[in-house]
Amino acid sequence: MDGDPAVMKVPRSSSVEVKEDMDTKSEKQATRDALIDISFCGSTPMLWKVSDMKKCRSEGVIGALVGSLARQPRQNVRLGRPLELRPEEALLLLEKEKSTAAVRLDTQQDCEDEEAHSEAVRLYEAGLESSYQEQCVLALEDKKKTLNRVMNEKENGTEGSGSAVRERLEALDQSFSFPWSAMAVQLCTARSGFSHCPEERSFHSTDCPMPRDEHLNTRFSVYRDLRNKGYYLTSAGKFGGDFLVYPGDPLRFHAHYIALCVSLDEEMPVCDILAIARLGSNVKKTVLLCSPQEGDVVYSSLQWSSMV
Amino acid sequence: MDEANPANPPPNWIQQHTVYQELMRLEVGDSVQVHAAFLVYMDLTEVRKWKDVVGVSCPELQAVLLEGREKEGESVQMIYPLPSHRSIKHRELRSILDRGSPMLLCAVASDSTLVYQRLCDGFLTPDPPVDIQDQGRRQHRKRRLQT
Repeated sequence: MDGDPAVMKVPRSSSVEVKEDMDTKSEKQATRDALIDISFCGSTPMLWKVSDMKKCRSEGVIGALVGSLARQPRQNVRLGRPLELRPEEALLLLEKEKSTAAVRLDTQQDCEDEEAHSEAVRLYEAGLESSYQEQCVLALEDKKKTLNRVMNEKENGTEGSGSAVRERLEALDQSFSFPWSAMAVQLCTARSGFSHCPEERSFHSTDCPMPRDEHLNTRFSVYRDLRNKGYYLTSAGKFGGDFLVYPGDPLRFHAHYIALCVSLDEEMPVCDILAIARLGSNVKKTVLLCSPQEGDVVYSSLQWSSMV
Repeated sequence: MDEANPANPPPNWIQQHTVYQELMRLEVGDSVQVHAAFLVYMDLTEVRKWKDVVGVSCPELQAVLLEGREKEGESVQMIYPLPSHRSIKHRELRSILDRGSPMLLCAVASDSTLVYQRLCDGFLTPDPPVDIQDQGRRQHRKRRLQT
């Protein structure tokens, strides 16, 4: 509520932001629309916006809905936003950003937007200026109204002092000055939806908090390779594997494979292999041993031989 | 009579079996695995009547592999017998798969029960689930029942 210069640096008011969006719409729309905002809850990547979820799906990244439905909070069969991504999925989206510029984590959102930022500051200052002019007029009117009222009261009473007030009123148009420090400044702290202003965005995403260990790297290379081959993958927790591999969208197909991601030199107990192979044959899926090897991935299919 | 004379038990027939002795002569240095290989050999030849089953030494895995044909004239399959309490690496399986012949992994439990798992290179599309395959026919069946 004051004209202190520090105020200039606080988040822009929503009206200015809208203006800025309109101004740069044509050039920015294309790139900004193509980005997917990944938020992190701890180290878990999440998507909150429906539009992001759609984009993500069109990239072939499935994820899993984990939020409760507002009107049905006491069941866990049908779930809603947010969409939880597995680490591999988030990594793939991030990696694709490099090649197609389709996806970006909110970390680097505004580091290259230097120009847009100074433009926004300029617009903010212009907005502030016009708000000042507006408030000047209003303050002048207010003062006049007060003086008029005082003058009327005085005229009804004694004669002499009324003229002094009249003089002041006449001089007011020239002499009136509205100090900057008296201007009301609106700081918009509430927002609608999940849009973040850049400052907030950078605060939320100081770093990408996903731990990368050996197993995740293995899983990620397998995930990326299978995805590039056109398969769709979901998590295979309920089958004791790493991924369920679908030949098309999971809504339309049964999974063909249960992928087990192991490095080539990882020791696997034979009884574990027997267990998962037998499970695979029961659910009519092939167990796929997947191991990254020299930038490529080797696949071995494992099926029960049906030799009783 | 055997029970009456515990001090002098009859010799173990397995150890006297010529095939067992042949397998031992491959000198892979893992008698437990060789024992498993012998049990698999017996299962393949006596129970399943496979043809041309022979033991092959595989120095990389320090193991005895078996080669054989399920029926006469069919292609040779490679069998890797393994005691089921062991562990295995994908690299070891690859070293057999990269030879190009179809492969079976045979796990031998301590009670000598066997299970064969088929392994092959790349993606092996599974059989379609029954409910999809039969959808058309099932409707037929219903119709037939009604009439």
